[in-house]
Amino acid sequence: MTAAPPPPTLQGFANEPVLELRRASVRSSLGPALESLDAALPVRVPVSVGADARTGGGARLQSSDPGAPGRVVAVAEIASVDDVDAAVAEAARGAPAWSRLAPERRAQALISAAAWMRARRLELAALEVRECAKPWREADADVCEAIDYLEYYARGAIALGRGRELLQVPGERNELHYAPRGVVGVISPWNFPLAIPCGMTAAALAVGNTVVLKPAEQSPGLGQRLRDALLAGGVPPAAISLAPGAAETGAALVAHPGVRAIAFTGSLAVGRRIIAQAAQAAPGQRHFKPVIAELGGKNCVIVAADADLDEAIPAIVASAFGYAGQKCSAAARVLVCEPIAPQLLERLAGAVHALAIGQAQELDTDVPPVIEREAMERVGRYAAEAAARGRIAAQAQPPDGEGWLCPATLATDLPDGSPVLEDEIFGPLLAVQSVRDVEAACDAVDGLSYALTGGLFSRDPATVSRVRARTPVGNLYVNRAITGAMVGRQPFGGNRLSGTGLKAGGPDYLLQFVEQRAVCENTMRHGLEV
Amino acid sequence: MSGTAELERELVRVGRRLAAAFPSSSHQPLRALDERAMQMASADRELRAALFRFVDVVPACRSLDDLARHLVSYLEQVPETPPPLAAAMRISATRAGRAALGAAAAGGVRHLAHRFIVGETPEAALGTLSRLWEDGIGTSVDLLGEATVTEAEADRYAARCAGALQRLAAATPGWPPRPVLEQDPHGPLPRTNVCVKVSALTPLLRPDAPRRGQLDAAARLRPLLRVARDAGAHLHIDMESLDTREAVLELVLGLLAEEEFGAGPSAGVVVQAYLRDSPAQLERILEWARAGRRSTPLTVRLVKGAYWDHELVQARQHGWEVPVFEHRRDCDRNFEALTRALLAAFPDVRVAVASHNLRSVAHAIAANRLSGAPDSALELQVLRGLGDDLGRALASEGHRVRSYCPVGDMVSGMAYLVRRLLENTSNDSFLFARAHGAPLDELLKAP
Repeated sequence: MTAAPPPPTLQGFANEPVLELRRASVRSSLGPALESLDAALPVRVPVSVGADARTGGGARLQSSDPGAPGRVVAVAEIASVDDVDAAVAEAARGAPAWSRLAPERRAQALISAAAWMRARRLELAALEVRECAKPWREADADVCEAIDYLEYYARGAIALGRGRELLQVPGERNELHYAPRGVVGVISPWNFPLAIPCGMTAAALAVGNTVVLKPAEQSPGLGQRLRDALLAGGVPPAAISLAPGAAETGAALVAHPGVRAIAFTGSLAVGRRIIAQAAQAAPGQRHFKPVIAELGGKNCVIVAADADLDEAIPAIVASAFGYAGQKCSAAARVLVCEPIAPQLLERLAGAVHALAIGQAQELDTDVPPVIEREAMERVGRYAAEAAARGRIAAQAQPPDGEGWLCPATLATDLPDGSPVLEDEIFGPLLAVQSVRDVEAACDAVDGLSYALTGGLFSRDPATVSRVRARTPVGNLYVNRAITGAMVGRQPFGGNRLSGTGLKAGGPDYLLQFVEQRAVCENTMRHGLEV
Repeated sequence: MSGTAELERELVRVGRRLAAAFPSSSHQPLRALDERAMQMASADRELRAALFRFVDVVPACRSLDDLARHLVSYLEQVPETPPPLAAAMRISATRAGRAALGAAAAGGVRHLAHRFIVGETPEAALGTLSRLWEDGIGTSVDLLGEATVTEAEADRYAARCAGALQRLAAATPGWPPRPVLEQDPHGPLPRTNVCVKVSALTPLLRPDAPRRGQLDAAARLRPLLRVARDAGAHLHIDMESLDTREAVLELVLGLLAEEEFGAGPSAGVVVQAYLRDSPAQLERILEWARAGRRSTPLTVRLVKGAYWDHELVQARQHGWEVPVFEHRRDCDRNFEALTRALLAAFPDVRVAVASHNLRSVAHAIAANRLSGAPDSALELQVLRGLGDDLGRALASEGHRVRSYCPVGDMVSGMAYLVRRLLENTSNDSFLFARAHGAPLDELLKAP
């Protein structure tokens, strides 16, 4: 079914509207979408080297439903070192033709890819429900975000193609223009399994690079769908190769001398390794290999004494426990000012206790399963640590049943330096601490290595401006939830050890995927009027 | 067409009589002060925002000093501070000045709150409620509360509602007879009338997954219906934002259809005329009512709706079709169409028209008369603090009028207060037009 996409428009950008799930008529479309997806599983994911689908070195990996681990969602061939080599070579071969196209032509392809996704919104969201246990609302939002990235970077690349204004004086003509880097290796995570790989890939492609994409080993099926969308939109196969696999495949891509830049989103530990490895130039490598990295966070929400708790509590709960806390932007700590700490803790405990833990496809579920057994065990270890050295203020227990279900935990009374307060747990565990005042809260935030997102609840403009001036985080949210950044509205990315990159979904992101070239021409004897 | 002309003629006649019956505000100096503050706020967007933010934060401030700091912090964001407020900002430089400013500002907000909120508890409200009754104005008590985020809060709210029903039902029999308020063509009307909000009866109401919240709320609403039935009181289920409308209506109609509630209590639901799909919503309610499952007719309160900003902002942020009318006249026209549809549904439902718009109210009265029904077939409702003058005018003209009376403490009352102030200072509002001396003919003109 290849419905003709609507004619692409290059005018203005607007976010793709998420499903209005508050309407029963919209909700009723979800079940059938999941049923028809289930009938088509598993997704087959070959190694794609240009137009060539390979079986790889014979090794395979499977993604499974975190809510029903027996259900195989995708079966992927693992790209060997040789496959990666071939994919990079193919991408290098494809680069000149793709980069020579006018930015408008490339933009057309990306916008057509967005239209392909738009025509398959439910199908793609259903795959996220199954492959990553993303609850419907968040799965749908992820598909919308992927569409947004395509649409936004397509337009941004057209603007960038015009170059930037420089100072001009008589007798010379000055130009600044932007050229693609070449082959970009994209290594993406599973937690936004379509949007994040799509954002990194779309940015690279929009400005004329070609891409070798290694999707997360937990979500190769969605990686395949991203490639399907781009090909359907008119991106040539040589510009988007797919190299499924795990750490070894990723390492081969990072080390490859033909790769000119790496775009990575994932954990700090892996990010450090990639940055170190990319800094080692292979023999014959004639370029530095920049790494555009979006890493972890240990995100704090500051609650001032004048906060509106009616507003703060639902926002904190959503930020900490939405998608089981598996977002780099998720709230991990609450720093609440002493006068309202008891009240906040009591109400937050009650709210956590009321959370429903269950399967991602059930709309009633507040907290879905975590991605894999290892994640469930890790969250369990931190919860045990919190119980031993601090206190569990509330815990919502999962129902009996299969899947990587974790309790949702609210911890408090933790000692300074506790790993629960410093490590990125990436699961449904939130720590609350009472602090003397907003300054003390800012000190605590300032003491962290991460600086991704942060929140503040206060009704005093003076407090807001003080925290705004002091906080190092990349995204500060005032009197609202701290997750859910929208493309073009809340450019997203962290500082300190949370990332190296300019903000995704923002006006500067594309600059990381290009080289700048300045040209100055002597026009002295061109007969121009001085 | 002649029907329309006749309706317009009668409407203008009713509107003029009501306008003439309005009490003069010159006898109420304190009220005049409020009006001045509100007029100042309406005139300047930034100032209005500053004052609303201040009202909102008052209960969260821990001292007069803290209050004054907040006030000044908001006023600093207003580009051009009117002279009285600039003076306030100057005195805030010292601790003593801040104490004085804090005390004055807190006093102002408390005064404002008392105009809209009749008491901290049902007991404290009883005096006002019975005075209104004696003046020929019925009441409906709304228990203000903080948002419900825990089961314990839901339990406490339900207990407060049950307590209010019982407390009021014990007191109201002692009130003097007021035949207009106690009887309509359907039969006797309860003196005790309490409103509940479903979102306060459960922490689990999720817009995209109503079922769990409905079940949880039902476990608390069912006992309240029993209390109301046994006390002979009316229980009205309020409507909030569109996020919960589907859940609330389905829940309420489902519970009321249960066998044990076949003979009572008297109960009601709300239709919000600012919603574009409200005609379909009303049709669904009328269809349910026509099925005649209960011996006491369902009351349908028609309102404009109080979450207009919320609905518009949410729809715009998500890229959804805006569910509310964006132009006041469209909304007013729909309000009148719904009024006529409701009146035409006699005797399946009891009709309560809640509006401060003189045109809408006069339209309801005129349309009811032209349908051949007695005035007693129509109830008119006003909000305590905003529609007091209209309420008195209606009562003096012999109409059945009910004042919606919030009860609660300052902390929980502020969100309500801010919504009401927004309404009162909106350039588009009828009250604003009236306060600014719009001519009566203009106010009664067809939308």
